[in-house]
Formats: sequence, structure tokens, C-alpha cells
Amino acid sequence: MSNKLIDLVNISKSYDGQLVLDELNLYIRENEFLTLLGPSGCGKTTTLRIIGGFETPNSGKVIFNGEDITHLPPNKRQINTVFQKYALFTHMSIAENIAFGLKIKGKSKQYISDKIKYALKLVNLDGFENRSPASLSGGQQQRIAIARAIVNEPKVLLLDEPLGALDLKLRQDMQYELIRLKNELGITFIYVTHDQEEALTMSDTIVVMNQGYIQQIGTPEDIYNEPENAFVADFIGDSNIIPGLMLEDKIVQIQGVSFPCVDIGFGHNRPVDVVIRPEDVELVSPETGTICGTVTHLIFKGVHYEMEVMAAGREWLVHSTHMFPVGTEVGIHVDPFNIQIMNKPESEDEEATVIEE
Amino acid sequence: MIKKAAEKFYLALIFILLYAPILTLIVLSFNASRTRAKWGGATLHWYQELFKNEAIMSALYSTLLIALLSALIATFIGTAAAIGIQSMKRKFRTFYMGLTNIPMMNAEIVMGISLMLLFIAFRINLGFSTILIAHITFNIPYVILSVMPRLKQTNRHTYEAALDLGASPLYAFFKVIFPDILPGVLSGFMLAFTMSLDDFVITHFTKGPGIDTLSTKIYSEVRKGIKPEMYALSTLLFISVLLLLLLINFSPKDSSQKARKQTITRRSRALAFAFKRVIPTLLVLAVTAGGIYYSFQGQKRSKQKVIVYNWGEYLDPEVITMFEEETGIDVIYEEFETNEIMYPKVQSGAIAYDVVCPSDYMIQKMLDNGLLAEINFDNVPNLKNIGQRYMDKSREFDPENKYSVPYCWGTVGILYNKTMVDEPIDSWSILWDDKYRDNILMQDSVRDAFGVTLKYLGYSLNSTDLDELTEAMNLLIVQKPLVQAYVIDQVRDKMIGNEAAIGVIYSGEAIYTQNENPDLEYVIPKEGSNIWIDSWVIPKNAEHKENAEAFINFLCRPDIALMNFDYITYSTPNTAARELIEDEDIRNSKIAFPDDSELEHCETFHYLGDEADAVYMDLWNKVKSK
Repeated sequence: MSNKLIDLVNISKSYDGQLVLDELNLYIRENEFLTLLGPSGCGKTTTLRIIGGFETPNSGKVIFNGEDITHLPPNKRQINTVFQKYALFTHMSIAENIAFGLKIKGKSKQYISDKIKYALKLVNLDGFENRSPASLSGGQQQRIAIARAIVNEPKVLLLDEPLGALDLKLRQDMQYELIRLKNELGITFIYVTHDQEEALTMSDTIVVMNQGYIQQIGTPEDIYNEPENAFVADFIGDSNIIPGLMLEDKIVQIQGVSFPCVDIGFGHNRPVDVVIRPEDVELVSPETGTICGTVTHLIFKGVHYEMEVMAAGREWLVHSTHMFPVGTEVGIHVDPFNIQIMNKPESEDEEATVIEE
Repeated sequence: MIKKAAEKFYLALIFILLYAPILTLIVLSFNASRTRAKWGGATLHWYQELFKNEAIMSALYSTLLIALLSALIATFIGTAAAIGIQSMKRKFRTFYMGLTNIPMMNAEIVMGISLMLLFIAFRINLGFSTILIAHITFNIPYVILSVMPRLKQTNRHTYEAALDLGASPLYAFFKVIFPDILPGVLSGFMLAFTMSLDDFVITHFTKGPGIDTLSTKIYSEVRKGIKPEMYALSTLLFISVLLLLLLINFSPKDSSQKARKQTITRRSRALAFAFKRVIPTLLVLAVTAGGIYYSFQGQKRSKQKVIVYNWGEYLDPEVITMFEEETGIDVIYEEFETNEIMYPKVQSGAIAYDVVCPSDYMIQKMLDNGLLAEINFDNVPNLKNIGQRYMDKSREFDPENKYSVPYCWGTVGILYNKTMVDEPIDSWSILWDDKYRDNILMQDSVRDAFGVTLKYLGYSLNSTDLDELTEAMNLLIVQKPLVQAYVIDQVRDKMIGNEAAIGVIYSGEAIYTQNENPDLEYVIPKEGSNIWIDSWVIPKNAEHKENAEAFINFLCRPDIALMNFDYITYSTPNTAARELIEDEDIRNSKIAFPDDSELEHCETFHYLGDEADAVYMDLWNKVKSK
């Protein structure tokens, strides 16, 4: 990937004395699909609004293509936004909605009508020119909102939880649609969501945020497989986060039992957190398992069974395509490669540390 | 079944009670007969009369112009304010909404008086502009109230989306926010228009001389005696307010619902076009036309003027036209109903009247309180036409004849209907005769009512003796059940219409009523009565004193005095004018020009001082409230 298109430098923002963003640093490369992921109130939307120009940071700079645009109003930025609630102009037709930005730029009639046709085709809504926004379904409205933004050929498209109000099936369709659009248009997408699955599906890069701090930046695989702290591990998918003791390199002790792992450099006899994804927990016969336990819960989830196994005074969450009825004695085995070791936070505060790249 | 019927009956009853008064008014506006009691067939005559009446038409124009301008300006300010308030933090928002709501909840009369005081304090001349400012002030909260909910519904993100797409904040507002709140703005405008259209109280306090809105015009006309034109006017006013309310309630909601449905149709586009282009254009055109008209009027006014404050129906309008044509001085003419209404208006100085026509005792009071300016009689050479005996009489309240010029005079007596009263009347005692229960009309003014009673008791009508006054009060209370109504100018119409047998009336009205109804007879009772003189005076704060003197001089011209005598039929002190009366019966009429002998027991009212005034008022209130 190429150079930095947007660079956020030491951004801080507070509302009524409440710190929302604290010294945030982040850059976005050209043509990247970057997702800001986190629970509500983590500062992801504020970050997006600062990039869009709807909020001004209390301190720090927004650099766009090498230029400082911190105080540039939104209408002067080469950035367009797709809003959470679509924000279509209800008193205008679909065509008028899409033409809004182009008219302001003084484009010719022919150009505008061509662009409207092109944009509607792009979002699979040909022939909707004269409909009113109120007559469209949520998904259709969302696609119009996207069409309205992209006809302006922005360098960056900001999307603020654009699929939040749609039902599951529609959401999945739109996810593929967005990926296709991004590939066809070749513009940078900055996407805000609290839905980790959405983030994993679409992004090139995921930025996990919590309480105004960036927790981890990485590819979907990095984030999922190697969460850097308990928050990320807990937020991304289900996981077993178990206190452990790093005996030496490549050996961790969990509930008194030694597990081989691949992590090194944590020192000797250090308390750590061990993350094991439920699908990485293999249930085997009691004799072959590293530790033994009893199945206490069983739920059929469609793709897999979800089970809880009580082993040495601790519940393990297990996803498996094989079913073990409640009460079955099982052994637990985890591949060394699937054991993720994280430093234990030394204090409460450190649970949300800034992670510099 | 019965329950259903009862429910329907109850509903019908409520609506009858609600609308019966207005229906009566509407029906009467088509009644060919002048009196309310009789149905004389349907006619549009009163509507024709109405549209021919220039004063009413000018009031109508002022009303519309003020309503339109105040609604427009209030809509502008109110909408801006609503946007400002909406973008505030919650606690400030609630606070400011409360602040803006107060003027709406406040009693109108408090608002009216405080606005008047404010204008006086800042030395703003009461007139068109003050009414306009007042109306804007009370309209703003209504606009805010109707814009606010729309604004709350508006998605804040649409504004940001417009900015995001490259729109400047102003462009974004007009293209995106404004269409959204337009129905609220429109209904705010129409609400403001309606409020302004039917406001009376605030207008009453903030208006200046020479300008009237329909409501103040109707009020002053009604005080003089209800004319059927007023029914027609009230009917039209009611219908226009009704139409406006229908518009407010139906039009904007309709259009927004239409937009929500399916595609944007040709029809809704036409509607949108009407709202966006046609209506504003029409409004702007109307206001511009009005503005030009008014600035033209204003230019006319800005030359020379004289502000006249006179009794209702106390001057031939033709005389004003002639005066304006001959001197080039514009007359701004305002009317009052009683001396007591006139006095505080002059005293407050809110309006600098140039020439006023109070009665004798009131002139004395104004003189005592230093409200009057000496008249420069070099500018009033026509004073020579006024008979010496009237100048001598005037010395009772204007000892040196320096401050007043007699205009009309007369006596107070009894007017009775010969067909309804058997015996000849020569005493006030008839007013206490049970035979005429509910057939007696009394004057609704303190001094007249007490004057009559004191005279009947054999006392002076300027008595300040508490025992005498209490006696008079008790007698008035005794009389109360016999009295059909306490009225002022309506005695005339009621007596003409055979609605009462006996009425206490001014001699000037007697001549007019006799012309209209030959069965009526006027008598000055033997116990004596009140002889009164209304004279022109110039208040100290007059701004056009020379014009006022020119006006007085004009009125003293014999031909003009005769015109006025013919018009108002009150006795004129202008001996030269009396010579010009062609009809011998009238020239020598005992009613118009009684002998000195008849006036032997008659007195003028004196100003008795504030304390005595208060005692009179107190006793009179006791009578009225019993």
C-alpha cells in the first residue's frame, strides 16, 4: 500500500470536560478500507466526525494529503460521508438528492444526468430517479446515500455505521456491495462500526478502540488471531481468557497444567493472560487431553455446537462440530499455535493503554 | 337509543351555545331593518355601505398591512430564534423557551400597557410603527412555538449531509432545513397573521391618532351606537379568521403527507411550487404595494398637520375635508366617548394632541392641572361670531376666557315618547315612577347620573356634601330596577326605535331624534338641570399650536358652524351661524336655543377636585355593582 492520505496527529477531544479522544494518532493510506471498531462511546464516531470536519479537535492536527485541514469546514473537504440514518433530503426526488453536490460544483446538466444514471447503476437501483426517498426501503435508502456521496468522486468516503439499521440478510448483501464498490471506485473507505463481524468481513485494516484510546491496529487476521490485550480478545469474537503463568519461553501453565505454546520473550514465571478461541479448543477422550473436564451445557448453533466444559474449577467455552452430551467426561487439547499469550495489565488504567505503532 | 339521542342533543346544545351569537350577528348583517328587534327582509345594503365607508376601508387596509408586515417580520425573527434556541444546550433551551412563552401567557392588557409605557419612555410617537412593533412582539412567540416542533423533527444529519456535499451553511439551510420546517414556518406565519388581525387590547394601547385597525374601529363605532355596517364588518372578519384557521389546520399537513406517499407527483410538485414561489411572490408584491401606498400617505402627512381629539360624531366630516383643502393642513382625527376617557390620554402625553374638545368641568380640571396652553386669539379672529352670553358662561370654568373657545352647548333633559307616556312630564320624578319600569334609559356617566338625582333632590349638581351625595346614591340604587339600560349615545337610537319610553339625553340629540321620530318630546325639568358647554382647548404639549388655532378659527366661521349644527344638531354658541339657519322653526327652537328663563335653575358642572371625584366614582361604583 502506498503513502499516507490522512494523518491524525495527537488528536484530543472532550465534551463538557469529558475526554472522548486522548492524544490519538492514526494514519490512513490511499485506497485502504479502514474500519474503526469499538463499543459505543469509544470515540470512533468522534474520530470520523473530526475527519469529516463536523467536529474540531481541542488539540492535534488533521493532515490530508500533506495539508493541514484541521479547521477547514466540511464543505471544503474532498471527503464525503454516508450517515448512519441515511440523511436523505426527503423533499427532493432521488435524482435531486444525487445531483445535490454536483449542482453546487456547477457541473453541466448532461454530466449530472450521466452521473445519476451511473451512480444508480452502481448501487443497483436503475430507474429510481423520480421516486421519493420516503418510498424506498431502508437498504435502498442506504444505497442512495452511498450513490449521493460517491458521484462527487471524493478521495475518501466516510461511512458511519451505515448498515446498523438493516436486517441481517440485507446487511450481509450490503457488505459485499460495499467491498465491490470500493474495488471498482478505488477510493479510500473509512468505516465506523461496533459490529466485529462486519469489520472482519470488509476491512483491510481494523482499528479497535476503547474509551478514547486505540487498542490495536492490524489486519482482520491479526486482530482475530493475535489480540494484543484482553479487551481486543474479548471484543473480537468469543474467547476464553484465562489467567496463566509463563513458566519459560514456549511453555505456559494454565490451572496448574503446562501447555506448550509458541510465544517467547515473556520472561520466567510471569503471570499472563492466555487467550484461546472456543473453536481452537479440541475435545478429545479424557486420556489424551491435556486437562480433563465435564460438559455442563450444550447448545446447537447451526454451524457448530456450543458447549461449556468444567475443567479444574473453570468453565471453558468450546465450539465444535462434534456433539458431546451434557455429563460427558472429555479431555481438552489446544494446539500450541492457537494459544495466544498477553501481558497482564498491572493496574486498572493499563487496561486501556495507548498502543503506539 | 335514548343514550345516543341524549349524546347528540348534548353535542348540538354545545354547538348552539358556541355559535348562536355569531349566527345572530351574521343574520343581522343581512337585515334590512335598522333596529335589531325587527326583521325587515334580506339585504346586502350594509355590505355596500361598508365598502363605501372610507374610514372603515382605511382601517381594513391598516389591519391587513399590519397583520402582513408583523407576521412576516415575526416569522423571520421567530424562525431565526427557534433555530438559535434549538442549537442551544438542553438546560438553556428550556430556559429560553420559557422566556419566549411568557409574553404569550401574559395578560394582553399588561402587555399593551407596558408597551405603551415603553414607547412613551423612549419618546416614540404612537402610530402605525408602534402598533407594528407591538404586533411583531406578541407574534414572535407564536412563530417560535409552531416552528420549534418541526425543527425538533428535522434530522440534524441532513444539514451535515448538505455541508458534506459541498453546500455552504446558508445554502444548506435554505435547501435542506428550510423545506423541512416550511410547514411550521407557514403555520407560524398564518397564526401570527390571525393573532394580529383580531388583536384589540394591545392595539388599543399602542395606537396613535388617525390610525385604526378594524378591531379598534369597531370598538369606537360601537361605543357611538351600533350600526348595521358593523355587523357586516364583524361577519367578514369572522369569516376571514375562520378561513385562515382552516388554512392553518389543513394545508401544510396535507402537503407533507402527500410528499411522503410514493413518488413525487406532478400535483405535489405544483403544490410545492405554490408554496415556494407563488405565495411568497404575492406576499412580497402586496407588501411592496402597501409600502408605496403608505409612504405616499406618509408624504402627504409629513407636511402640515393638526391632531384633533373630539367627541364621537361631533363634527361634520365634510368640514374636515374643506379645512384640509383650504389650509393644506392635514387633520388627524381621533374620537373619545367621555371626558373621563379623554383626560388620562391627554395627561399621559403619549399622544401630543393639538386641539381637544372637553366639557366645562373638565376644562377646569385640565386648567387646574396645568395641561392647557393659552390660545393666541390674534389667530382666531372669528371669535367675534361667538355670542357674548356664552363667553360669559365660560368664565365659570375659564375665568379669563383665555384658554377655551365654545363649540357646542346644551342642556340635559328628559326625552319621552308621547305614545308611551300619558301625562305631560315636567319633573325628574318621572324617572322614579314604577309605571315605566324597564322603560327608562339613564346616562352611563357619573356626573350626569348624580347631577340629575341631585337636582331632583333640590341640591346643587356640584354638591360635595357627603350626606347629599349618599342620599343621591341611595335614590339611584332605588331607581336601578326601573332602568332598562345605562347607556351613552345609544339613548338616541333606542328612543328612535321605540325601545324605551323615557331617556335622559342631551338637548342636541333631542332635535335629531325628533326629526327621526315625531312622537318624541324633550323637556328641561322644572327642578333645573345641567347646562353644559363643550369648548375647544389646546393642550400644553401640542406640537402644532398655530394649526390648532387655525382649526378653531375655521370652526368659528358662520358657514362652517352652521354645517356642524346641521350635522350634529347640538346648539351652537355661534350667533352669526344661528342667523344663517333657514328653517325658522329650528332657528327659534326652544330646545336648541332655550330662553334665559328656562335656564334659571340650570348649572354648569364644576371640577370638584380629585378627592370629590373619587367620592363620586366610589358612590357610582356602588350603584352600578348593586
